[in-house]
Amino acid sequence: MRDATLKYVLVAPAVVVVMATAVWPLFESFRLSLYAGRLSRPHFPQAFIGVENYTWAFIEEPAFWNSVAVTVWFTVVTVALTTVLALAFALLLAPGGKFRSGVQALLILPFAMSPALIGVSFRFMFNPEFGLFDAVFGALLPGVAAVSWLSDPTLAFWVVVIADVWGWIPFLTLVLIGGLASIPRETIEAAQIDGAAGWRVFKDVTLPQLVPVLAVVVILKAIFSLKTFDLVFMLTNGGPGTATQTLSHYVYFNGFKYSNLGYSSAVAWLMVIPMIFLTYAYARFVFDTKKS
Amino acid sequence: MASISLNSVTKQWGDVKGVDNQSLDIADKEFLVLLGPSGCGKTTTMRMIAGLEEPSSGDIFIGERRVNDDLPKDRDIAMVFQNYGLYPHMSVEQNIAYPLKVRDTPKEAIAERVLRAAEQVELVPLLKRKPKALSGGQRQRVALARAIVRTPKVFLMDEPLSNLDAKLRVSMRAELKNLSHKLKITTVYVTHDQIEAMTLADRVAVMSGGKIQQLGPPEEIYNNPENLFVASFIGSPAMNLIKGDIVESVFSTPDSTNITMPPECPVTSRTDVVLGIRPEDITIVDAGHGDVDASVFAVENTGDSVLVTVKLGDQKFTARGDRYLKCGIDEQIGLQINHHHFYLFDANSEKRLR
Amino acid sequence: MNILTGRVRKQFFQTVQIALILVFIVVMLVPILWIGLAAFKQHVDVYQLKLLFTPTLENFRVVFEAPYYLGEKLKNSTIVATVTVVIAIPIATCAAYAFSRFRLRGQSALLVMILATQFVPAVVIVLPFFIMFRNLGLLDTLTGLILVNLAIVMPFAIWMIKGFIDGIPIETEEAALVDGSSRMQVIRNIVLPMAAPGLVTAGIFCFIIAWNEFLFALILTSKDAVTLPIGLALFKAEEGDLWNLLAAAGIIIMVPMFILALIIRKHFVQGMTMGAVR
Repeated sequence: MRDATLKYVLVAPAVVVVMATAVWPLFESFRLSLYAGRLSRPHFPQAFIGVENYTWAFIEEPAFWNSVAVTVWFTVVTVALTTVLALAFALLLAPGGKFRSGVQALLILPFAMSPALIGVSFRFMFNPEFGLFDAVFGALLPGVAAVSWLSDPTLAFWVVVIADVWGWIPFLTLVLIGGLASIPRETIEAAQIDGAAGWRVFKDVTLPQLVPVLAVVVILKAIFSLKTFDLVFMLTNGGPGTATQTLSHYVYFNGFKYSNLGYSSAVAWLMVIPMIFLTYAYARFVFDTKKS
Repeated sequence: MASISLNSVTKQWGDVKGVDNQSLDIADKEFLVLLGPSGCGKTTTMRMIAGLEEPSSGDIFIGERRVNDDLPKDRDIAMVFQNYGLYPHMSVEQNIAYPLKVRDTPKEAIAERVLRAAEQVELVPLLKRKPKALSGGQRQRVALARAIVRTPKVFLMDEPLSNLDAKLRVSMRAELKNLSHKLKITTVYVTHDQIEAMTLADRVAVMSGGKIQQLGPPEEIYNNPENLFVASFIGSPAMNLIKGDIVESVFSTPDSTNITMPPECPVTSRTDVVLGIRPEDITIVDAGHGDVDASVFAVENTGDSVLVTVKLGDQKFTARGDRYLKCGIDEQIGLQINHHHFYLFDANSEKRLR
Repeated sequence: MNILTGRVRKQFFQTVQIALILVFIVVMLVPILWIGLAAFKQHVDVYQLKLLFTPTLENFRVVFEAPYYLGEKLKNSTIVATVTVVIAIPIATCAAYAFSRFRLRGQSALLVMILATQFVPAVVIVLPFFIMFRNLGLLDTLTGLILVNLAIVMPFAIWMIKGFIDGIPIETEEAALVDGSSRMQVIRNIVLPMAAPGLVTAGIFCFIIAWNEFLFALILTSKDAVTLPIGLALFKAEEGDLWNLLAAAGIIIMVPMFILALIIRKHFVQGMTMGAVR
């Protein structure tokens, strides 16, 4: 078979799989969002109601706006915290030549824990009676001991943030270590010789060269934060009340607890919009850096 | 006063000694070249002078001051890197200005000095560009300009020409020579290219295995090598070297080539010697009329001369002949050795016999 | 004037650095170690926050029995993850090779689309799957789970393997083509052996993803095809969570993943960012 045809033959199965398993459901999901319907009824979906699901979300549902707020706030905080901390740790760990593989090994471990497992783990540790962190924080700040962490809306939110940041720092640190390593050593040494002290070198020479990698890190983390479900489900299940109900969780709740499938499809599709922007930005960086 | 002194400096990592107990005095305003193959310790030596590496033992002085504990930025030096080390996110102008900016020089002074440096390397039209929009030679000149924009005590250059193509290298060499003459600043220059060393240096330090093999002006390194390493490293094409013994003023090799040594020979009888002769110190004559006969193995016309490689017993010899010389492969010819320009080395210690 | 000479300053900063690194390591490891410890504790010990206790393997025995039957879930997870990888890798390799070595029309668009599907939240596409599976009788089956996991891992697999193939010098293939091999022979005899480490890495990576997959397993299974992560949800009793059992189950989920992740750690970053960062 000639190359010209072969190349399409080679690509075809993968494209079919992706189309069938990812692209089709996306469109189907949008179609379903235009209908009303409950799962329990035999013929689903029932009535075509156009954009009514969407308008309902925007106008009539405070719970929707709540989860939007939770999600946005969660994303901003976790992205900021994780990026700053990961950068700090990457700077700390980067120079160590012999440390490097030991550190890599160590950093892999938290990441091999799935978010669901992290959720369980942190729920365990923040238990007010016998949780480890409860004990630790209680010892550090008396008055905070035996606080019911996961029953207080604000505290529960911050516990979820801590768990999420904890889970993602290792990976982002590794990415940034890689980024730091790719900065030509000579630009740093030239700055040192030219007269710049430590902090100055970082600000004038290291950081500007790190921007492409930092952008990738921020965008990736934002995407993952927006998607957060497993962690929330296992840690707080959206609670207390709806204090930690991210959009994904809200969709799940409406879709499978309340069986309001058309509506939940609509909300789910609303989530796609920021994803499009973020994906575009990410693709720009991936393809741009590959070109240069 | 910007002299540089290294006293018994060693740099080692575990058991490996990159620089082995070396001492070196560089005079104020001198252009010193550290020459040697990869891994000989030349770059490590320079990086220790710069403060980018710390000596494992020994002292380094710049002027009167012991600088072992000084950070690079406090040593008042400038450096040109092999890969230039330009700041990719800054324009040419900002790159050159950086050493001044970092020292809080006032803006007008910066602008004026940047312009002057750019003029000296002919970069003025490119000031607003970024490094990635420049050619290799242009980037090199930016690195140079950045180095000369201040007037440091010492210039350090780490193989600055090795990433340029051959022609550019030659013209930049001349530029460097001219520039260093104008600026009159103590310079340490690292290279593996012996032609750069010969043309640019006031003195050359030939290094190998972490040690300085010989230190001296270029002519002396070329005409008076101390040991086998220096003799074979300098010179292109390289010096011919053959092993043998001298018995009663006759040099004989294991494959029975015999050459009668001239009276200038320092040694009458000695085993295990190496005879060295530069290609340009051999004249090609008719067979039977020289010191030794040989058959032609290859003939290379380089334009300005003809290099004739001959087989002498089991070994090959290269002689440089006049550019109009004609001879054919397998032809028998005679080699006449210049009696004032041959060298004898002890085969075991590799030192020159005088 | 300075007691803080270069040398003293340097040592001070180095000590601070090491101290901070230790803090980092501790913070990163404590949660894992803590739940690891809990897996070996008896029920009472858990509630008392003890560090020293008599360890027991009882928890590990209990979780495999009624009513938890973790063994069943372990089997399901293994089957789903393995089959997913076995199907995904060959398909992805073919596509990756084509993307790497050939110029296809619309290649960039295709690649971006594949990239993009990775960023779609699972909740968006789970409903159509649910309905389709209900209609096809695939709910609560391993086959169904395998299908959805294929959806998830395929983009990762394609990008990772493409990255590896990009890194293989093309000259060997071209020499073989000149010598008379057909393209398929080249792929089989030259590219596959050279890319083998990359394929293994991608396979392990996809295995980890499928193993830890949560949302689809949650919604599309109920009792027969339940996988390990969902099994975690079982350990809620009326009096609260059975933490020691939960921890034991957690260990069973985690440990294989740790081992696999350690094997591929060098290529981890490359895989997750889909080649954006090396």
